[in-house]
Amino acid sequence: MTWAFVIQTTVSALAILGLVALAGWARIAAPRPPLDAAAARAVLAEEFPDSRIGAVWIAADGRAAVARAGEEALIVWLRGDDYVARQAPWSALATAQVSAGTARLAFHDVAAPAARLAVGALAPWPPALEALTLEAGA
Amino acid sequence: MKISLDPVTLATPFFILAVILEIVLARLGRARARYEARDTATSLFMGLGRNVTAIATGGIVAASTLWVYQHRLFTVPVTAIWAWVLIFFLEDLTYYWFHRLSHERRVWWAAHVNHHSSQHYNLSTALRQTWTGGVAGTWALWLPLALLGFSPAMIATQQGISLVYQFWIHTETIGKLPAPIEAVFNTPSHHRVHHARNPRYLDRNYAGILIIWDRLFGTFEPERAEEPCRYGVVKNLGDFNLLRVAFHEWIAIGQDLTRARSPREALAYVFGPPGWSPDGSRETSDQLRAAWRARTGGRAGYFGGASSFQTSGAPPPPSAIQARPEAASNR
Repeated sequence: MTWAFVIQTTVSALAILGLVALAGWARIAAPRPPLDAAAARAVLAEEFPDSRIGAVWIAADGRAAVARAGEEALIVWLRGDDYVARQAPWSALATAQVSAGTARLAFHDVAAPAARLAVGALAPWPPALEALTLEAGA
Repeated sequence: MKISLDPVTLATPFFILAVILEIVLARLGRARARYEARDTATSLFMGLGRNVTAIATGGIVAASTLWVYQHRLFTVPVTAIWAWVLIFFLEDLTYYWFHRLSHERRVWWAAHVNHHSSQHYNLSTALRQTWTGGVAGTWALWLPLALLGFSPAMIATQQGISLVYQFWIHTETIGKLPAPIEAVFNTPSHHRVHHARNPRYLDRNYAGILIIWDRLFGTFEPERAEEPCRYGVVKNLGDFNLLRVAFHEWIAIGQDLTRARSPREALAYVFGPPGWSPDGSRETSDQLRAAWRARTGGRAGYFGGASSFQTSGAPPPPSAIQARPEAASNR
């Protein structure tokens, strides 16, 4: 490794920081308003096309949603300006660690170890979708 | 002063200027591009990191290529035009198979998946390069060119030209090009399909410069206006951690190997298609595509999820009901 390489790498890193700052300044990320029920259902339907989406739980900040399909929980959450989706046993939701208004739901998945979902009075954790799902006929 | 003739090094200022131009034009509403700062940072630092990690295996790659060249069957003159025409086609054909293997066999997908891990498709995505390509050993696919008598410098130059060519096609700003160009060359439209995770588009359009190889080997899929590309991988990453982007699939392979119940299962976990599992609990691209076809009959629509209600005769889904606080006490 030569000094030239070190200098080149350092200058490249600075250039990257400049480009990232420009990207942030431009504000051209996809607009993602907080999820409402219809938007949450649309995202969940896209990510889980084989599942009938009934009732949904929406995180307190509108950045995540959970639906129930039988004994499976269907979870989507915002990463940057797009959604990540994972499936987990419904019973796992009760094991999520809740603190400071956030439920940390762990997955056995190195690509997405956990989802952090904002909880609150209007979005209590764990979601209670059983009756609603049955009511919806899912 | 030593002047580099590496096409990638020479093109780097152009890369930077092109990214700036795409961002500014998108900001001004003159181009279609989405940039999210953390996603952009991830892409660009993956590109920078690749330069560092390549040092670890660059010597082995160069030495291996040189050794094979020393045992070459013919000697191809570097100054002959026909030699450059020939290596253009042969290198591009090699790239096609490298790229196809990188998608269809998990051990090589582990090295390539990071390039597809962005849910964006812009010029910065082009720079989201692998850190583990050298370890994966796919560079060996280019050794036959050295055996045929192409010098290592010629091979490296043509590889660089291919890499530079593939930069500009990572954009949503450019729509479809004139038909003769779309018929022969890999274009932004063709490569958008390649980066899409819609079942129809999975594992399609592996081309480097020429799309003719996909047409020839049955992996071509045109971009359809009625089915917009959704970018990323089937199971997108949960965060922007660079180490996760670079190594998650390698770690997943390791975890699967600890669960393998036989050598055959272990081999399938490593060399089977991504998504393979002994109990069928995961889905390969072919299985995802088959499920999508069964759901939609192959009609357009992202994942077929929304359209399946419209085409199957099933009643529409019930209205969404937000969880109520009182319902929480039922658990």
